Amino acid sequence: MSDEAILMKGVCKDFKVLNRHEGLKGSIKDLFSRDYKTVSAVKDVSLTVNKGEIVGYLGPNGAGKSTTIKMMTGVLEPTSGEILVNGLVPYKDRTKNCENIGVVFGQRSQLWWSLPLIESFKLLRDIYMVPQKEYDDMIALYRSLVDIEPVLHKPVRQMSLGQRTLSDILAAFLHNPGIVFLDEPTIGLDVSMKSKIRDLILGLNKEKHTTVILTTHDMGDVDALCKRIVIIDKGSKIYDNDIDHLKSYFGSYRTLRMRIGDTWEERLIDEKETDVMSVIAETQAKHKIKDIQLQEISTEEVIKKIYEGGS
Amino acid sequence: MSIRKFLALTRAGIMESLHYRLGIAVTLFANLIYLVLVYFLWKAVYASSGVDVVNGMTFTDTMIYLILATALFNFLEMFVVWDMSRSIQSGKIILDLLKPMDFRTYTFWSYSGSHVVQFVLTFIPTFIVVMIVTGGAIPMGLNLLYFVVSTLLALIVNFGIEMLVATLCLYTESTWGINIVKETIVLLLSGASIPLAFFPEKVREVISYLPFRAVYDIPLSVLLGKAGSDSLEGLLKLWGLQLAWAVVLTVAGIIFWNISVKKITVNGG
Repeated sequence: MSDEAILMKGVCKDFKVLNRHEGLKGSIKDLFSRDYKTVSAVKDVSLTVNKGEIVGYLGPNGAGKSTTIKMMTGVLEPTSGEILVNGLVPYKDRTKNCENIGVVFGQRSQLWWSLPLIESFKLLRDIYMVPQKEYDDMIALYRSLVDIEPVLHKPVRQMSLGQRTLSDILAAFLHNPGIVFLDEPTIGLDVSMKSKIRDLILGLNKEKHTTVILTTHDMGDVDALCKRIVIIDKGSKIYDNDIDHLKSYFGSYRTLRMRIGDTWEERLIDEKETDVMSVIAETQAKHKIKDIQLQEISTEEVIKKIYEGGS
Repeated sequence: MSIRKFLALTRAGIMESLHYRLGIAVTLFANLIYLVLVYFLWKAVYASSGVDVVNGMTFTDTMIYLILATALFNFLEMFVVWDMSRSIQSGKIILDLLKPMDFRTYTFWSYSGSHVVQFVLTFIPTFIVVMIVTGGAIPMGLNLLYFVVSTLLALIVNFGIEMLVATLCLYTESTWGINIVKETIVLLLSGASIPLAFFPEKVREVISYLPFRAVYDIPLSVLLGKAGSDSLEGLLKLWGLQLAWAVVLTVAGIIFWNISVKKITVNGG
């Protein structure tokens, strides 16, 4: 086996979308319309992910992240280009490919809703035909990484969002897959749960050398987990490098928001050139500041910076 | 290929069904109301006809047939179409597609548990009650064993119909109408609401070759020793019809599903 977990070469994905017309008349016209337009969701993306890596796959909403993940999992077939996941062509060998991947979609659960978590685990063990010994070892590993006792015997529908996400991540790793896809796993979670989940992902990656592909909008996730970042925007890959390199783009940037009178004023501050305190002092000399917020730079702004600065 | 992963799905299905014990109680209660209605309806039909035997069936025959048909209906009822359209709309279907198992197989075994529960908790009690009340109107013998075989075939035929309709959901976003049409057709032409003996000769001739009959009428006929199932030749003929439809619907379903999934994976959901 090679060292590559995922190999993508010039992958494109086009969707055919019906051209919808406006109004009632348009809706009736659409019934018989054959007027399709082609939308490119992913354009010529090449990517190599090595085994054991945690790769942050970033991009604004609608950039083509989910489409790429669906192609890697074999649910979608690329329009052109090559994909190999664990040496298999995912859309041709979907069932076989599924045996060696795990998936978590932050908003959905693969667990059996009305059953206690342990039953979902047992079921997944049987479906993936995990030998009892490996299953026991995995549960033992889970116990060492996170306190699973409170959730293990709780029906999934009674869980909080955080507990459920945690359970879903554990379920995705249960059959010890080579690759786990995590699609916005920390969405909607509080700070302590986020950090718990990050620790868990790191721990599992370290123990099992699982390759993790993580999509997120949370720069905190990226910071805590990923050594390498891939950014796509409008279907094209615009950045692929390690996180330290990216930090030179966003690490020193902060968005400072100040409320002067009734309006919020926003300033993007590059801490290499100036620092937050001096901006505040400067503003305060002229106006009365009622409130202050300091924000990390968002993915969208990182992308804007990459476009501006080139990489 | 190990059977372990299939039985695991059956087991989970049983546990899930048992979890909704109130639902089972409500089903039994609803059945009771329905059967009271059926009782009076057919009583009126027989009273107005003025004879004891209509289309070769006495009032007791008709009642036994319809009560068992109702129980069989509860047992065979599947919600593949509803569940599928829901999971397509919510996008959850992707998680089912990502199981390391053929989707059709996965779906079939996921439902198997609830069939087991319904069989034990609604069909068997109903059967025993009918047996006691009618005092020996149901023959007891090898026909029970034949009935089980026939029911398993009916299960596969029913699943085949469900999956074909469910696959249609991939094309149409609204499935409510299609499902109602399907349910009405199945209930009417399968003998679940009116015994097939009551249909006009010509219509019955046609219906007897359709797959719907294989779901309710054939298992019931086998159980009650009707429609020639008391001879080996007749029995094999009925089984043959069921088996033929099971094969045809399964093959057609697999082909239709593969084409449809391909379309989705090419054009996006």
